[in-house]
Amino acid sequence: MNLSRRLFLHSGLMTGAALAVAPKVFAEPILPGWHVGYSNAPAAGYPQAEMKLVRGKAPAGLTGTLYRNGPAHFKHGDAYATHWFDGDGMVQRIAIGEGKAVHSGKFVDTQKRRIEMAAGKFLAPGFGTVGDPSYPVGSSDDVNPGNISVMMSGGELLALWEAGSPYRMDPVTLETKGLKSFRNDLKGMPFLAHPKREPDGRVWGLAISNRKIGIYNINPDGSTKSFGMVDIGASHYMHDWAMTERKLIILCQPWIQTKNIPPFIDGFVWKPEEGMKYLIVDKDDLTKTRWAQGPARSFYHTGAAWEESDGTIRLDAAFYPQPILGTGGGADEIRGKYSGDSVSSKLTMATIPVSGDVTMVETNIAGDFPQVDPRRHGLARKLTTMITGSVEGQPGGSALAVQDWSSGKVQIHDFGAEYMVEEFLFTPKGSGAAETDSWLIGTAINTKLQRSEVHVFDAGHVDAGPVAVWQAGYAWPLGFHGTWAGA
Amino acid sequence: MKRLPLLDKFLAGMAFVPAAMVAAVLAFPQPALADTSKVPLTLTITDIADHKGAISFGVYDEAGYGADKAVNGGTIPVTGDTATMTLELPPGRYGIKLFHDVDGDGKMGMNPFGMPTEPYAFSNSAPAQFGPAKWDAAAFDVAAPATTHTIKLIR
Repeated sequence: MNLSRRLFLHSGLMTGAALAVAPKVFAEPILPGWHVGYSNAPAAGYPQAEMKLVRGKAPAGLTGTLYRNGPAHFKHGDAYATHWFDGDGMVQRIAIGEGKAVHSGKFVDTQKRRIEMAAGKFLAPGFGTVGDPSYPVGSSDDVNPGNISVMMSGGELLALWEAGSPYRMDPVTLETKGLKSFRNDLKGMPFLAHPKREPDGRVWGLAISNRKIGIYNINPDGSTKSFGMVDIGASHYMHDWAMTERKLIILCQPWIQTKNIPPFIDGFVWKPEEGMKYLIVDKDDLTKTRWAQGPARSFYHTGAAWEESDGTIRLDAAFYPQPILGTGGGADEIRGKYSGDSVSSKLTMATIPVSGDVTMVETNIAGDFPQVDPRRHGLARKLTTMITGSVEGQPGGSALAVQDWSSGKVQIHDFGAEYMVEEFLFTPKGSGAAETDSWLIGTAINTKLQRSEVHVFDAGHVDAGPVAVWQAGYAWPLGFHGTWAGA
Repeated sequence: MKRLPLLDKFLAGMAFVPAAMVAAVLAFPQPALADTSKVPLTLTITDIADHKGAISFGVYDEAGYGADKAVNGGTIPVTGDTATMTLELPPGRYGIKLFHDVDGDGKMGMNPFGMPTEPYAFSNSAPAQFGPAKWDAAAFDVAAPATTHTIKLIR
């Protein structure tokens, strides 16, 4: 119950001045339990704290660190941020070893955050924020919240946004060391939040500016091998993409920016008659490209892709029939309101033949955050995990699914109504090479206890429930994406 | 999980400190003898992180500022945190655009999307605002008997 409202009623103050204050006091909502996922994290971060094992046993041999990133600051005083996507990024670190899980977290030290924390208000323009005209914008990094994902590169932890540079962070202390530049002439180039790591550690990344796509080829030691460009012909909305062992696949959905004036989202037009076009680029020669045409879909995330011996490409993704504007992570959730998703996705396998149009096989798994075994990324494989399920009146997913494409079967674990479930990652288990020789590890907010948890599943048996659950004494905000750094 | 729509497009469309400014530097040798109709402007640039290369600057009047047509300019070799040069100008209102030519190639470095890779600045240390600082923010007066002006280099 809102404390100030209770005081107001009991004080008996019914003067005109008190009544003038009253509407704001009465209007403050009682926030639902899930709102803890959209509440400010402490500005100083979370010091290292051991989590409590509340279910099962710590899996033998599970050693490494789970990193996650997401917006973690939503309010300055009484003023809410305009959009979830503009919240300052915070990296959560869960170090697992010797049966223990230790959590810590730190905000990414960005220019935006420094200026806004000093001023005590939101100033920078953003995805959903017009911003204050006095806020100086000389480059994308002036507004970069560093809040979408993380990757390990060259011994450093990089906090990723998508329209600006990554931030370099210390993987143990989470201190921010500065902006990342992959080469002197690439300073200030953006880096999408979904780099693709080959099993040997080579990383491919994309940079987007309108119809120009920059392609990073990063060596396993973190040095930059090469950077090239392709032209996709139009400014398609793009958050993710895919690769096989020898090809890059840039999915161009028919959601195209035709106007470049704010509010920018209004400048994107859905043109389903154009369908989804797939640009297939040869990794060894970026000038060798071909286009394939498929039915219209919108998407945020792909699983992964592989190429068969006859050249056919298989690619899976959480495809939506149209863009999900205004749902799943917007302005309302920060204020504790949620009206449900109007459009749902299907985990879909697309087949791109050597010639001819793309065809699709859809499952009935609705959700997002598809992930695959990193040891088989770009190679023929069977499994894709995804977050699915939903709870009435609550944002986010409530279940973990593992789809086996070779058998067509899916295993699902339902966490129940008290959970908001986040992205799960495959982590290799022991020396077995099968995808099922993996754990699945991820976080979930227990909205009843208002605590964050780390759950570990056997990837081959998610329907048996988690093999271990660690619980913190508090909840940290929901995030987007993460990475596992094995020991 | 959206991207910030295309700030890059605003910024890449602007020529921060164009090559034309380099030509301006060459076209404006500073005379050895004082011209009494002109006033000395002592320009100091601070916060120079890389102690090499040169500061390349152009001086513009209001008419030329947006069109990148300089009335004067210069190059100051960099050996420390600051760099200074004195030049003579008729009294009036001017704006300065400059960059630090760290690699000494005579051009402001740009990344493949057209964003500067070398530091730059504007008079009044005016910040970039979706492009070069606007005239109103950068304009300052050069007046008798002499004017000094300090500019802080951005990154």
